[in-house]
Amino acid sequence: MSFLDQVEPLKQSALAELRAAPDLTALEQARVSYLGANGKFTALMKELGRLPKEEKPAAGKAINGAKVDLEAALAARRSELELKAALPKEPTDFTLPGRRRVLGKLHPLTQVTEDIVRSFRKIGFVVADGPEVEDEYHCFDALNTPADHPARDTQDTFYLANTKPGAQPSTLNPQPSALLRTHTSSVQIRVMEKQQPPVRIIVPGRVYRRDNADATHNPTFHQVEGLYVDRNVTVGDLKGTVEFVFKELMGEETRIRFRPHYFSYTEPSFEIDFSSALTRKMGKEWLEIAGCGMVHPQVFENVGYDPEVWTGWAFGFGIERIAMIRYGINDIRLFYENDVRFLRQF
Amino acid sequence: MKVTYNWLKQYVAFGWSPAELAERLTMLGIEVEGVQKLGGEFEGVVVAQVITKDKHPNADKLSLCRVNDGKAERQIVCGAHNFKAGDKVPLILPGASLPAKPGEAPFTIKVGKIRGVESQGMMCSPQELSLGNLVEGLLILREDARVGQPFADYLGRSGSDVVYDLEITPNRPDLNSVIGIAREISAVTGNPLKRPQIELQESGAPAADLVSVRLEDPELCPRYTARVIRGVKIAPSPDWLSSTLEKVGVRSISNVVDVTNYVMLETGQPLHAFDYHLLQGSTCPAIVVRHAGEGEKFKTLDGQERALTSQMLLIADETKAVALAGVMGGQNSEIGANTVDVLIESACFKPQNIRATSKKLELRTESSYRFERGADIGICDWASRRAAQLILQTAGGALAPAAVDAYPKPFEPKQIALRHAQTDAVLGIAVPVEQQVQFLERLGLEVAQAAAGAGPAGGKARQTTVFRVPSFRVDLKREIDLIEEVARLYGVDRIPATPPRGAIGANAYDAVHDQLAEARRILTGLGLTEAQGQTLISDAAGRLAGATGLVPLANPLSNDMNVLRPSLLPGLLDALRHNISRKSYDVALFELGRVFRAAEASGPGGSGSGSPAVGEQRCVAIALTGQRNPLFWSGDDREARFDTYDLKGLLEEFLEQFGLRGMTYVRRPESTALFLESATVHLGRFQLGEFGQLLPPLARQYDLRDAVLLAELNLDLLLARRNTSKSFRPLPAFPAIRRDIAMILPEATTHEAILQAVRQARPANLETVELFDVFRGKNVPAGQKSVAYAFTYRQAERTLTDAEVNAAHEKLVVQLQQRLGAVVRE
Repeated sequence: MSFLDQVEPLKQSALAELRAAPDLTALEQARVSYLGANGKFTALMKELGRLPKEEKPAAGKAINGAKVDLEAALAARRSELELKAALPKEPTDFTLPGRRRVLGKLHPLTQVTEDIVRSFRKIGFVVADGPEVEDEYHCFDALNTPADHPARDTQDTFYLANTKPGAQPSTLNPQPSALLRTHTSSVQIRVMEKQQPPVRIIVPGRVYRRDNADATHNPTFHQVEGLYVDRNVTVGDLKGTVEFVFKELMGEETRIRFRPHYFSYTEPSFEIDFSSALTRKMGKEWLEIAGCGMVHPQVFENVGYDPEVWTGWAFGFGIERIAMIRYGINDIRLFYENDVRFLRQF
Repeated sequence: MKVTYNWLKQYVAFGWSPAELAERLTMLGIEVEGVQKLGGEFEGVVVAQVITKDKHPNADKLSLCRVNDGKAERQIVCGAHNFKAGDKVPLILPGASLPAKPGEAPFTIKVGKIRGVESQGMMCSPQELSLGNLVEGLLILREDARVGQPFADYLGRSGSDVVYDLEITPNRPDLNSVIGIAREISAVTGNPLKRPQIELQESGAPAADLVSVRLEDPELCPRYTARVIRGVKIAPSPDWLSSTLEKVGVRSISNVVDVTNYVMLETGQPLHAFDYHLLQGSTCPAIVVRHAGEGEKFKTLDGQERALTSQMLLIADETKAVALAGVMGGQNSEIGANTVDVLIESACFKPQNIRATSKKLELRTESSYRFERGADIGICDWASRRAAQLILQTAGGALAPAAVDAYPKPFEPKQIALRHAQTDAVLGIAVPVEQQVQFLERLGLEVAQAAAGAGPAGGKARQTTVFRVPSFRVDLKREIDLIEEVARLYGVDRIPATPPRGAIGANAYDAVHDQLAEARRILTGLGLTEAQGQTLISDAAGRLAGATGLVPLANPLSNDMNVLRPSLLPGLLDALRHNISRKSYDVALFELGRVFRAAEASGPGGSGSGSPAVGEQRCVAIALTGQRNPLFWSGDDREARFDTYDLKGLLEEFLEQFGLRGMTYVRRPESTALFLESATVHLGRFQLGEFGQLLPPLARQYDLRDAVLLAELNLDLLLARRNTSKSFRPLPAFPAIRRDIAMILPEATTHEAILQAVRQARPANLETVELFDVFRGKNVPAGQKSVAYAFTYRQAERTLTDAEVNAAHEKLVVQLQQRLGAVVRE
């Protein structure tokens, strides 16, 4: 058989063996048996030197071409088998649950507070803060609360013991008893005492009322207070801001209505009702959501602002109430039980 | 306060439906808390007259009629035969419903085709109207029935009415009366307020001869009027009176008592009627308004004997008390079936005194409710005359001329100036001067001095009107109060909202708020969920935190909530218990919140008030229990529980991310009231907080089964000490060389001590030291541990050689052997 006639069959059988190698070991064996130092193909190449001179060019070309093909086939099969070897024995079940890194959750009251703060900050408000343990002056007197107003009763307000031993809290007390603030409005006074107008603040914080805990009451709850004092502030401004904030909070289709009401520290005073898909889901067209009004001139006088120069408005609402309406929560106590099944829902 | 639709209509005309009235009152600031419909039978049924009666084109047994309903003609298909053209019949209009039989839905009449012909309503039989008497066919009405009249009126059963339950804000005592509410409606509509006309026939001896009145404390009782009616006949009230009272929830008793209640509801002025003959005096019966004696006993109308204090005010005669002033009458002088002569009291009492009495005795009445909110001193006599009028009407008798009116300091109306431009400035709208004045006049204010300064140069900017405030408006004190009235009547819904505008706020806390939010963000990123605990906890729980300076409440609701929390940890323990009791065993919580401690006395030379100041401090606390990792289905440590180093790692990461570096941790030698084992966290000379494992007996007490890890840090301190400055350090350009050391050390040698020794050895070019293994057991003697550290060496400017690293490292090994007594394992 001539040299040239041997090349093609050997190449074919080598290719077949390489391609058929079931794994990398078999592939290596096949490589050695053909291309190794003592391999069949290597042996054939060694014969090349013994051919007559005139046959060499054609034979050399044929065998080198075959070698390139074999090496290409070897490399291809090797990467194929390497890939196969890298795969796990059993295919991965991508429907199995993964190994989770769990992110913690912000308390729903924090989330609602942050939303409120964000909406106010968009329109130039900053956040302010004050003590939770207050005195009667800042919580009541300065806010124009009548001396005998029932809100001051020990029935409704928590007073601290030992701050005035044995005494009932008294309204005209020169050394007023310490109490837990019943509203964030006390911070209005604290801020205005320290700062000249204009004032533009919101005050989120804890407040306290002496109510037994039930589905709608908890002795501790949260409020947000807004206060704006400037020249030429009007009821129209109050309405515009309230509408802006509640649309931000409760959705663009929210409608707002003002009803005249009474609070000692604002005049005129209003209650704010809102109406949205949420209220309609609760079976109500209007739902009371906040109280507000123009800051009473007496309050300005109490903090040393001239009511002839400055006007302003304030409003306040309960954060729990917003959260309850927004998320459909039916029991305020859930906020303070810290049940993780509850907390993780928000 | 309850009023009815029909009652209001007696005092003012308005064209609103009952639903519209509720809406209008609400928008005036009188919140309608409840609406109850009474009666309302035969709504949509009117008297109609048959004009023509023809055969139905498509049905033999039906007729086709033209009927006049008083407003228009209607075409009605009818199946009855007992009527003729000209008859008057009840016609139910489309949209109205026939009375429902019990348990059935009402049948609503619609316009519809019957056998191809439209029928616009239905003529009714007695059965269909549930009128009972069986007649074949339609109910034929009397000839004098007025066409178009509501059928209920025809029957004389127009008892339908609507009762409104109103929430009256405490500043408006004048609205605790039907006339007060009517006045508001009158002000809005402009329709006049129709107060009843009172013309009294008087006869016999004047009241002054029949009774004397003495006020011992005119401050507590600034006015007392007494009228006497002789020869009344006590009897049940007429229907109009008893039914009016019953509609608003007041029980009818007898004509005279009912009149006093009626007039109170009508005018807001509480009245009391005494049996004149049960009052004593020297020449004639006397009324003495005096303080009670301390401990004086008095039996009120409700049969209760009450012990009084000297603060309380009594109505007495010369020998005995006869009424608890402004609160409740006495049994000894009450109107009875045999009462013949009646004394009517119409007085005014100081609100604070009535409130104190009512509260002390826990006795609240319609009368005390009105007096404590502030009654109208100006209306005493009018209300008394109104009562006399109605008593004469309903119980007969003769009214003694005039009244005894003890009124030492007659009411002086307050005057308030309203600058009309100020109204516009506050409301943000322009309300014409005339309209402002008109609104206020309709509310009963009088112009004392008309708008001045209206000249050509003046304009509204300078116009001021001075108003006299009527006695019933105790809430109107200054200009802004008048502006509010204008706003209410103008309608706050008509004030356009203006977009937010104005100054940019400034407050130091604003930045703190963001820092708190950042702390929360980091902690949630670490897998902790935020909790919010109660501020009020039990003193026992408070003491767990080892707290001195607990702040107790003077008036706690219960012993579970009698102190302010001195720490967030008791609240977090409650949260853990709550979760574990609900089978959520794996809980990782944090809370940011305030804690409260009584500060030490304010130091030498302090105010000495004796009131310890209460310190408020922000804290951040963490609680971990249960499994470290979420449920997973493979892996050796998948059931691992949280341990102290989980907590430590959280703290380290949190503190570092929050901008705090260089903390040290000092183990407490002993267990505490809260911790089995714990450490305090320090930064320089500040103690930031503590953390550790909860004492197991306490864990059991809280029903917690796995180890519980707790930490609490002073957040105010963290905020003060944090360093948030950030600056770029070039990335290393040259490679590092790592050398490891494993060594055996006594158990007592802490990681901190090892680091200390390394720092003291100052190896050249050392970049980091990292602990990567701690091992006890095989080949490690008892009481010792094997620790392995990786040391990384690097030079910023060049590549280190093995030789120089080896030299430095070998020196370090020697130092560690010497300083720590370490046995270095090769």
